[in-house]
Amino acid sequence: MSNKKTGGASLIIIWTGALAISLLGFYLLDHGIMSMQGLPLNLDLTPAQ
Amino acid sequence: MNSSLRVKRLALPLLLLLLGMVGVAWGVDGAAPQPLRGDYPDIGISSRAVVWVLAQLHLFFGALILAVPLFVLVIEFLGIVTGDRRYDDMAREFLKISLVGFTLTAIFGVILTIALFSLYPQLMGYLARVFDGQWIVYLGVFLLENIFLYAYYYSWNRLRKGGQKWLHLGLGLMLNLSGVTIMILANAWVTFMMAPSGITTDGTVVGDIWDIMHGPLWHPMNLHRFIANIAFGGAVVGAYAAFKFLSTRDPKLRAHYDWMGYTSNFIAILAFLPLPFAGYWLMAEIYAYSQQMGITAMGGILAWLFIIQAVLIGTILLAGNFYLWSGMSRSEGATRYQWLIKYIALVLVAGFMVWVTPHTLILTAAEQAALGGVHHQILGPLGIMPAKNIAVNLMLIATFLSFQLYRRADKVATVPWAGAGNALMTAIYLVAIANIIFVGVYYGYFTNTVYKVGSSVIQVMSTLVVIISGIIIDSLMFRNATRLPSHWGQVSDRSQYALFALPIAYTWLMGLMGYVRSSVKTHWHIYGVMKDNSPDNYIPTIGYAGNMVTLVTVLFLLGLLFMFWIADRRVKS
Repeated sequence: MSNKKTGGASLIIIWTGALAISLLGFYLLDHGIMSMQGLPLNLDLTPAQ
Repeated sequence: MNSSLRVKRLALPLLLLLLGMVGVAWGVDGAAPQPLRGDYPDIGISSRAVVWVLAQLHLFFGALILAVPLFVLVIEFLGIVTGDRRYDDMAREFLKISLVGFTLTAIFGVILTIALFSLYPQLMGYLARVFDGQWIVYLGVFLLENIFLYAYYYSWNRLRKGGQKWLHLGLGLMLNLSGVTIMILANAWVTFMMAPSGITTDGTVVGDIWDIMHGPLWHPMNLHRFIANIAFGGAVVGAYAAFKFLSTRDPKLRAHYDWMGYTSNFIAILAFLPLPFAGYWLMAEIYAYSQQMGITAMGGILAWLFIIQAVLIGTILLAGNFYLWSGMSRSEGATRYQWLIKYIALVLVAGFMVWVTPHTLILTAAEQAALGGVHHQILGPLGIMPAKNIAVNLMLIATFLSFQLYRRADKVATVPWAGAGNALMTAIYLVAIANIIFVGVYYGYFTNTVYKVGSSVIQVMSTLVVIISGIIIDSLMFRNATRLPSHWGQVSDRSQYALFALPIAYTWLMGLMGYVRSSVKTHWHIYGVMKDNSPDNYIPTIGYAGNMVTLVTVLFLLGLLFMFWIADRRVKS
């Protein structure tokens, strides 16, 4: 890994950013795949019809 | 190549051509024949067993000779691009190992053809009529493959320098194109028998050859077999490298065969990672074509073989991962990542346990009363597909992590954004794992079936996102990386036994699942069109099938030892 030292605040920003990007990316992936199959994400625990 | 083998090669196309013509002659126009019990020749032993063994051996060696030239071509190309002569030498050695395989494939192909036309004349006559001139195309491509094989192998040294090397690579490409064409033609025959197209319900041909070939299972079968063959070929040549590694004490040779074994395992595992998804696609298409056929495969007696499949795939993943972990000892930089191995092992073992958990147990009345039903209260939910989907995807992600750590072990990234790159990679792993578990549990257990099936695509894509993003991030992040000392040949002997386990498990697995694929036709030669009225028109017991698959596996392994022996003699000479 890189030898460069990164500050605490920067670390938080980097990790938060990475998690946010990943969460958004996978949410869009889930949404896109279900939409392609004609299905909503249906995350409210309503029994699907 | 000695002269007797050449004679056999030349005799093969002629014999096949003759048999093809005989087959055409046997066919009659109109509907498919409906043979009665007495129309099948009685040879005193099960005709199905004879064809089973021969077809499986032909297919095993065929898979090998399809796959090895594919990665030989890629490795040779790498040799040209990098200018590293070792790649070129290794590619040639891989091809040398597979040469005997071409001969064995041809021999088993001839015997299989004779057996099929002798024991199932009506079926083969009908197939010859349906596929018409394709037999000739097949033979033509087979001849071309042999010509390209000889040209590719024997011109290796002559076309080594300058622009001639590209000409040599072109020969390899043609060899591979002809090999893949042979596979997809043969796949069309098999998938026609499972899901016929281009004919009416009584078997009268109404479509052209493309309609007949282009059945609903053809593409999934092509993809599944193509990927599986590469993984299988990698595993087999890996065993050869392990055998050579263990049989020498010369450090230079051990380094060479260690590298060769690593490359083989790399191919076997990397090709294996997308394989379950191709299998899912094939199975989904089988269900879409005939739900009854799908249920026979995964809900009836054959479902138990999927439990054995889980054991074998678990063996492959554990052996492949163990080899990667052992291989980390080659590099001093690996100590940075060793703490993660126990967690990867935990995921693999837990996933394996979930995968082998059956849904419906075979119980006595007393056992059922004690259990309170046929499903175990706690373990029962682990027996259905949502749990298996979670398990297999997590196992694949864990395997990719092993692979990624291994690749990183001898490098230190020098790019300024390495910290951010690592954070992103870690986040992708964590969110993908959470996503796979969430959609598996939520859609699998709390909503209805349509969501259950739909969400399995999300799981597959999540795993693929991890793999693809891992490859992209690492290739960018470790560009111009500092290399740490790495010592080829500095690996435990124990790790080499993992390379022996891989081809054995792969062979068994291919035999087992090939049997399932063929058996789902139940009492049909051609599903829904031409009934099988032979004495073997039933699905045999699991024990019988297990013994048959084991027999062909052992026979193939003996053939493999013969191949290694010949290859070893060639290397020494």
